[in-house]
Amino acid sequence: MFTDSTGSSESLGADLKIKIIGVGGGGTNVVDGLKLDNLEGDVSLAAINTDAQALANSPLTEKLVIGRSVTRGLGTGGDLEIGHRAAESDREAIGEMIAGVDLLLLVVGLGGGTGSAVAPLIAEVAAQSDAVVIAFATLPFTFQGARPQRIAEDSMAELRSRVHGLVPLPNDMLLQEAEEGASVLNAFSVADQWIARGVNALCSMLLKTGLINQDFGSMRSVFRNIGGKTFFGTGSAAGEGYVEAALESLLTCPLLHMGDRPKELDRILVNVIGGADLQITQINHVMSQVSNSFDSREDVVFGAVIDENRHQSLEISILAKSDLELVSALELEAEPDPQVAAAPEGIDPTSALEALGLQAEIAKDNRPPRVVHQSKLRKQKKDAVGQDEFNFIDSEAQRGYFEKSDRNLYNEEDLDVPTYLRRGIKIKIKV
Amino acid sequence: MSQVKVVGAVEIGTSKVSVLLGEIVGEDLNIIGHEARTSRGVKKGMIVDLNLASECVHSAIMAAEKAAQTRIDEVYLAQTGSHLQGSFNLGTTNVSASDGVVRGVDVDQAKEDAKRRNLPDTRTYIHHIQNPYSLDGQPVDNPLSKQGQRLQVGYWSVHGDSRIVGDSLRVIRGIDLDVGDMIISSIASGVVLLEDSEKEAGALVIDMGAGTTDYVLYRKGYIVKTGVVPVGGDHITNDLSIGLRVGRKSADEIKCKDGRAYFEPTDKDESVWLFGDLTIGDRQYPLGAITKIIEARVSEIFEIIKEQLSEANLYDPNDIATGVVLTGGSSRLNGIDEAASRVLGVPARVSQGPLDVNRDLRKPEYTTSLGLLHYALTGQETTSQRPKPVGIFRRLTSILQFD
Repeated sequence: MFTDSTGSSESLGADLKIKIIGVGGGGTNVVDGLKLDNLEGDVSLAAINTDAQALANSPLTEKLVIGRSVTRGLGTGGDLEIGHRAAESDREAIGEMIAGVDLLLLVVGLGGGTGSAVAPLIAEVAAQSDAVVIAFATLPFTFQGARPQRIAEDSMAELRSRVHGLVPLPNDMLLQEAEEGASVLNAFSVADQWIARGVNALCSMLLKTGLINQDFGSMRSVFRNIGGKTFFGTGSAAGEGYVEAALESLLTCPLLHMGDRPKELDRILVNVIGGADLQITQINHVMSQVSNSFDSREDVVFGAVIDENRHQSLEISILAKSDLELVSALELEAEPDPQVAAAPEGIDPTSALEALGLQAEIAKDNRPPRVVHQSKLRKQKKDAVGQDEFNFIDSEAQRGYFEKSDRNLYNEEDLDVPTYLRRGIKIKIKV
Repeated sequence: MSQVKVVGAVEIGTSKVSVLLGEIVGEDLNIIGHEARTSRGVKKGMIVDLNLASECVHSAIMAAEKAAQTRIDEVYLAQTGSHLQGSFNLGTTNVSASDGVVRGVDVDQAKEDAKRRNLPDTRTYIHHIQNPYSLDGQPVDNPLSKQGQRLQVGYWSVHGDSRIVGDSLRVIRGIDLDVGDMIISSIASGVVLLEDSEKEAGALVIDMGAGTTDYVLYRKGYIVKTGVVPVGGDHITNDLSIGLRVGRKSADEIKCKDGRAYFEPTDKDESVWLFGDLTIGDRQYPLGAITKIIEARVSEIFEIIKEQLSEANLYDPNDIATGVVLTGGSSRLNGIDEAASRVLGVPARVSQGPLDVNRDLRKPEYTTSLGLLHYALTGQETTSQRPKPVGIFRRLTSILQFD
């Protein structure tokens, strides 16, 4: 099942154009800090923001201030509406920025006014080209309040329906990975590091000389569909027993344990970065362990590259796609709604309620018996599929075990999210 | 000649569907069958998949009927879920007679006034639970024949989403059975777990299930508040699964094996095995990781209850002298009483179940169903005293009145 094309000259991506764009303040910060050494291809870094001042401080060379006419270069102040207008006003400039790009990586911190509004628009513009678009999006901390959460959720739903891969990184969860007693600033930078590792894994797989090189085609095949769910996980280790330790670190990566990962993923991309001392037997071991741990319906695409600076050190990253949501939505469309079909016949809910003496105002208006609990999620999907078979919005995709039930909001917090994550209680799981 | 009636008490829970068969002969109740099975299609106390849930409930009912070799005449159904809401309504009337003696008509007038409040179309009343009367500001148990000018009566009224209520009814009607009454889970559990004296002293019964935590507060013998927190044992399992990065099954096992509802500093230094059977993939965890995750979740549940009581001006430890009585599947969690007590500031104990029933039936999964049967029995008594056709609320309130 492995699709491994061992290093033809093409796979080094001579003509491949990769662009990494930081969107908004948070996204730009991450891209500023990216260190993509030793990459042999055409990778460019860029930033888009509404805040001219913030952008001026960025060391990047390609920078775009958008919405000057709307904000006078002063940023959105967290106002999503302003963000939308700013993005819309510079749609053309955005189009120019991403013209001719094969792989577009968007890095955005959701929850504010700029990133949340602009990233979906960039994705929309990019969708008209042939580019593969993958977005890394950090989600706000619960302690930042309900508004950023809502904005982030809406924006994520928009993004999800427009990009080939969306990797959500909940800050609440990444805080768990920060050192004990880390400040909030540190916690933010933890998210940055995770994104950097993801971006680095993708680029190095495509552009670095390696033991097993992957070409853009195989990556494109993993991310061929828009929508669905993307899972990203990474683990690394150095020193004695580093292969096993890196595997262990990957398997306990918090991003792979948000409770929403289906048993079987559709396509998996695995990249291994090791030092010159990395042996092919070790790579084989990693490959078999990873494929054993993550079931894939179709392909496992492997890449392994050498980083001369490493010694006895290994980093394993996986990016996986699941089209499950899509499949179930299409199936739903094809079948008559099983719930309607099976609702017991001859029962008038009005009389049932009245028999109980319940005041059944709702049932009195002679509407056909409505199937209760036809979950909103499914309904949403059906509608969306009807409009455009790949373009459904699924804002609930990250809810894991409880995703088919109603939202559980109390004081604007989602009670289905683990309490310890919402309250920033650090859990140390290593003995 | 006493009539025999077979009542099926059905609770469609998040983790279990339980059916109890009770045979009512005159004023006696015999429990003649029980069946509990793993629930499907239910999350957080509400039906999310009507087909699955129906299938499961129907097979449980049929199994119970078969075992007892009888047919159910009428079903009493428990209801829970976050859609349930309650409000306190006060009814007021001026005593009509010139001599100022309260007559039946005044009482009816006050009651009617309290229940006058209309609900939006999408809501359905499930209970009107009567609270004490007051005559010119003085609480009285029975105002009839007493003298005064202004008669007031309060009701704790519970209403639910009409569609969701209709949905659970549909499950039962789908097997061609009539629903005699629908009672919210907290009230059903409370009635069998508390002695009258405990209700009088004030008690908070918390029924922690897999998907919801239902509570009922008794004060001076009356139900003054009920509530549902749509969080239960499933959430604890889910939290552990995410926090420890293990599957749900393993998380559930850890919860039962090593879980505790509160964290202790020494937990940090103690470690436990994931499986403890020397298999590949077994890992060690600090006990503190487990107890911290659970403590955060469990104390949040109790804090929400405390908050809701405080908002209704009903949180006063002095008025909850009996303390907290815990029941439901999740009350099996180690240290749950201690955790409840820490947050709510009153003594807490885990109920051992009603002592007057067979040991099998003392398990938490039958508590609510037993309560339903209790109402099926007492409901019968009161309807015979009141021959007029009554709906569920009036019947229930009359129970509470004479109970």
